[in-house]
Amino acid sequence: MSRPGLANACAAMLRRDLTLAWRRRGDIAMPVLYALIVTMLFPFALGPEDTLLQRIAGGVVLVTILLAMLLALDAMFSSDIEDGSLEQLVLAPQPLALMLAVKILAHWLTTALPLIVISPLLAGMLHLPTAVMPVLVLALLLSTPMLSLLGAILVALTAGTRRSGMLLALMLLPLCVPVVIFAAGAVAASQQGLPWLAPIAWLGAALVLLLVLAPLACAAALRIALDA
Amino acid sequence: MSKWIPLWLHKLSSPPTFYRFAGALRPWLLALALLTGAIALYGGLVLAPADYQQGDAYRIIFIHVPSAWMSLFIYGVMGFAAFVALVWRIKLAEVVAMESAPIGAAFTFITLVTGSLWGKPMWGTWWTWDARLTSELVLLFLYLGVIGLYHAFEDRRQGARAAAFLALIGIINVPIVHFSVNWWNTLHQGSTIRLLGPSTIAPGMLWPLLTMMLATKFYYLASLFGRVRTDLLDLESGKDWVRTIATGSTLQ
Repeated sequence: MSRPGLANACAAMLRRDLTLAWRRRGDIAMPVLYALIVTMLFPFALGPEDTLLQRIAGGVVLVTILLAMLLALDAMFSSDIEDGSLEQLVLAPQPLALMLAVKILAHWLTTALPLIVISPLLAGMLHLPTAVMPVLVLALLLSTPMLSLLGAILVALTAGTRRSGMLLALMLLPLCVPVVIFAAGAVAASQQGLPWLAPIAWLGAALVLLLVLAPLACAAALRIALDA
Repeated sequence: MSKWIPLWLHKLSSPPTFYRFAGALRPWLLALALLTGAIALYGGLVLAPADYQQGDAYRIIFIHVPSAWMSLFIYGVMGFAAFVALVWRIKLAEVVAMESAPIGAAFTFITLVTGSLWGKPMWGTWWTWDARLTSELVLLFLYLGVIGLYHAFEDRRQGARAAAFLALIGIINVPIVHFSVNWWNTLHQGSTIRLLGPSTIAPGMLWPLLTMMLATKFYYLASLFGRVRTDLLDLESGKDWVRTIATGSTLQ
């Protein structure tokens, strides 16, 4: 029996995950709605003063998107675990780390990308200056894949447990402290007219490192969590 | 000699041997911890001179600093045991890693509480978003994550392996968090005790601090041995050696 090439397998995996996500379009909209609602609550809680909202806008948008992603993270492998296709993936001849990397990419495309698309809207609701928007979007483009990759490792670790929602938050939040610091640092620097390239460069370097290591760690974690 | 040590370590990693070994050592460790702890407290609270700036309030460092050292030291031990557990699948290493976590979390908590008690008179606030304080808080969450993940699994050995993996990720994360938080904000005073080069702390304050460090190490070992013994009995409850202990004919 001829084995399908790696590129074919990756493409099939990506197509399958995107198709599955598209069949359940409502789920894609949920994190976006969540982020909108949370952002809307801040002016109610803090008062509608422009200067105050402007000062916190970058941080609020980043944290809101982080929480929205955390909400969607649980679903990354859950349906595949339920119907057993994740075990088939572990047994497949293709390297598990690569297949998981494709799955993480599909998850990022369906949850983080819509959030990035509406992030200027969220920031605009809080009066973030238009000049800062490109930096915010750039910081999000670099930091959300990291959250997906880190989250994937932890979701894989909790694959063998039943209730994992709060646990996932407890495990992920310490790991994403540096990501939040540098992403928010870049936005704040750009808002104050300071050079913002350094934190962005750090984010980029960390993303490259994680792109290589996280799928391997995710595969190892999945093997630990699934062997019973 | 070079042949004896690996053989002895190999034997020690078998649960019944370790159970007896830890049981024999534990009272001595506990006694040493109490003794050195009492000496260190006397030295720190009575003999050591008052600080020329901070008065007597600085004396909390005799608890605070050794706890902070232990919070990192135990994370190191946990990470090492986790590595051994994952690579060689040694049951004892899993138990040591998992039973270290609550002790480490307790020391981290003590560090945070004593630091905040000291911060109120000195800095005028219970809590500030300083680099070291924040790193220590993140460390506490890392410990809690490991403990939580361990207990989330029905199968304890599987839970131990998953949590050991998380502990290893955390070990990579701790320096990154510390570095990034430093970049973000810092207020905590620099360290005054160095391994290399002269320390900038008065000798009268240094020796109680180092004695307390010893006391906390002894206490950690004693506490760890007690916890590991209980855990081993639980894990191996079907085995013969446990049955022998349970039915009264003593092994130790």
